[in-house]
Amino acid sequence: MKYSIFSLARAALSGHKNWPRTWRDPEPQKQYDVVIVGGGGHGLATAYHLAHEHGIRNVAVLEKGWIGSGNAGRNTTIIRSNYLLPGNIGFYEMSMKLWETMESDLNYNAMVSQRGVLNLYHSDAQRDAYARRGNAMRINGIDSELLDQAGVRKLAPFLNFDNARFPIQGGLLQPRGGTARHDAVVWGYAHAADKLGVDIIQNCEVTGFTRDANGKVTGVETSRGTIGAGKVGIAVAGNSSRVAAMAGLRLPIESHVLQAFVSEGIKPLIPGVITFGAGHFYVSQSDKGGLVFGGDIDGYNSYAQRGNLPVVEDVCEGGMALMPVIGRVRLLRQWGGIMDMSMDGSPIIDKTPVDGLYLNAGWCYGGFKATPGSGFVFAHLIARDELHREGARFRLDRFQRGAMIDEKGQGAQPNLH
Amino acid sequence: MVELSVELSWAETTPLSRIYAAGRQGAKEHDAGLTMAEQTGFELVQVMARRGQWSATDQACKEAYGASAPAKPHAVVAQGALLVWSGPDQFLVLSPRGDGLERARLAFAGMASLSEQSDGRSLLRISGARSRDLLAKVCSLDLHPAVFPQWAAAATSIDHTSVNLWRSTDRDGEAVFHLLVFATFAESLWHTLLDSGAEYGVAIDAPGAWQA
Amino acid sequence: MRIACPFCGPRENGEFSYLGDAKPKRPAPDAGQDAFYDYVYLRDNVAGEMEELWYHGGGCRSWLKVRRNTVTHEIFSVEPVAGAGAQKVAS
Repeated sequence: MKYSIFSLARAALSGHKNWPRTWRDPEPQKQYDVVIVGGGGHGLATAYHLAHEHGIRNVAVLEKGWIGSGNAGRNTTIIRSNYLLPGNIGFYEMSMKLWETMESDLNYNAMVSQRGVLNLYHSDAQRDAYARRGNAMRINGIDSELLDQAGVRKLAPFLNFDNARFPIQGGLLQPRGGTARHDAVVWGYAHAADKLGVDIIQNCEVTGFTRDANGKVTGVETSRGTIGAGKVGIAVAGNSSRVAAMAGLRLPIESHVLQAFVSEGIKPLIPGVITFGAGHFYVSQSDKGGLVFGGDIDGYNSYAQRGNLPVVEDVCEGGMALMPVIGRVRLLRQWGGIMDMSMDGSPIIDKTPVDGLYLNAGWCYGGFKATPGSGFVFAHLIARDELHREGARFRLDRFQRGAMIDEKGQGAQPNLH
Repeated sequence: MVELSVELSWAETTPLSRIYAAGRQGAKEHDAGLTMAEQTGFELVQVMARRGQWSATDQACKEAYGASAPAKPHAVVAQGALLVWSGPDQFLVLSPRGDGLERARLAFAGMASLSEQSDGRSLLRISGARSRDLLAKVCSLDLHPAVFPQWAAAATSIDHTSVNLWRSTDRDGEAVFHLLVFATFAESLWHTLLDSGAEYGVAIDAPGAWQA
Repeated sequence: MRIACPFCGPRENGEFSYLGDAKPKRPAPDAGQDAFYDYVYLRDNVAGEMEELWYHGGGCRSWLKVRRNTVTHEIFSVEPVAGAGAQKVAS
């Protein structure tokens, strides 16, 4: 169905009891042109763009749990394109533009809210680094504004400006950045892809790949039987190494747990997204009033969707240093998601050495904002067997070629990215 | 233009002297629940046995200090010094100011590396009925007497700060804890401890010479 | 998660820093680019039991080899490794 004011009125008249399913629940067919492993935002966006841009509609998305059960429902919902390096900057801006048209493209309310993303700086050196980043953004046609302390005070007067250790000097603002309702994003992509004929198959875990005599992938083995495929795309960030290992591949990736938090609802306080520059802490306020925040990964390899207390303490300390006003706010919930930490902090969208197998991985903890762009670029790669211009540097072999995209300049120590 | 004047002085100072205020801090409506003090006048030498030299170091320790070198987390009262375990094959020699370094140099020549730390560390003492309650807020170790008796020691972190912690002889039937901390971190840790102890009422003694 | 340091006893994991998988071994200098690529960048990224290196920087400053389940965070063994006090390290 098409969602509109009329469908809403019609449903209201019947007490909202007759809403149809947002997407079908089909049995898997024997054969598809393309099978996407992973029903997260990236996998669903890939399927949508395969159908929408490339006319490839005989597509299945296989999800081992349910739509929204993984990182799609675990992130802190931030969207932005304030990157510095070539390779990232164009890609994330393309993704930002897709966010801006997503709701009409998908006919779904994803609650995209461009409330601004403000990165604070606390020293002259950090100001200079942000000035450079802001200039790089402007050269690429992306909105950015370097604020001094008075400018930040106007936006967020409640911050601890005169903190003796980390006084706030100013911030880099991207006004078009903001948040989106993360569940609604996957529901919207599932809805739109389904409408174009894509089969979304939940509770279907991939357990292996079928290959022909030449080693080409011919399909997947799943908990619901073998499914044939002309091409297979992997979009299972967090578990990329496990799935790639089924095809005999080792990846430049470690899996780490990232925790996120939400507080009890409070009155409107935080205008957009604010990040602390002297520790790892980022916060926004949901429409329900809860403060949604997070910080660093726990720092050790983990596939458990829960973290440990030292990082809880660290994140809360960051919050208290930035805005002591939240000291009496109670935590409502806390959870963990598994991140594909790559060796340079940037993602991988590429063919693999295995014929017919394509990889979308390594999103570290920045995957949510990339959702539409990632799907767009990955669909282009699968459909045409060529890299899209904006994803052309996310190569799997870039570590061998010395062409890393290392925004932090951290080197091959994934828990530090 | 702000005039900056810096007065240089050779007068002895301590890492905490800038903020130290003897007297009562925190809750005042009842007797102080604990006592805190900076300890001064000590000499501190870090001893690290060289590879394969632990037995020789231990033997030399017995000869020079009349006690085995601590091989597990505890503190040993020896002749004229306190030996505090600080890690595998290493310990601290704490003594009243005097010839501490020279004595260690003669004792461990050729078998252990020494590092003079007298001015590199600050030594704090916490005692009294509520001292465990204060430490429970900031220290993740179990300091119950059953598992942390007198002269137990630990290398741990308190408020992100590395600390050598040990319990010495009880005073007036209450536990006495010593915290050895990097000198430049002492001020920060002192503030944290005062904040944590404020609700119990803290009596701060004048800085005094350390005694085992 | 608590790690039982063989020297200090059980400690909260905030006292430790993580290096990662203990398996990769630095290749010989003349082993070639592929071997170094493998060593520096590729990981088994095990879901399950894994041997890894932790540093007890907030305590006794020893390097430790920890066998841990990356799915459940259960820890099976903790051993000192070279540099963590010569007397207790076998090799």
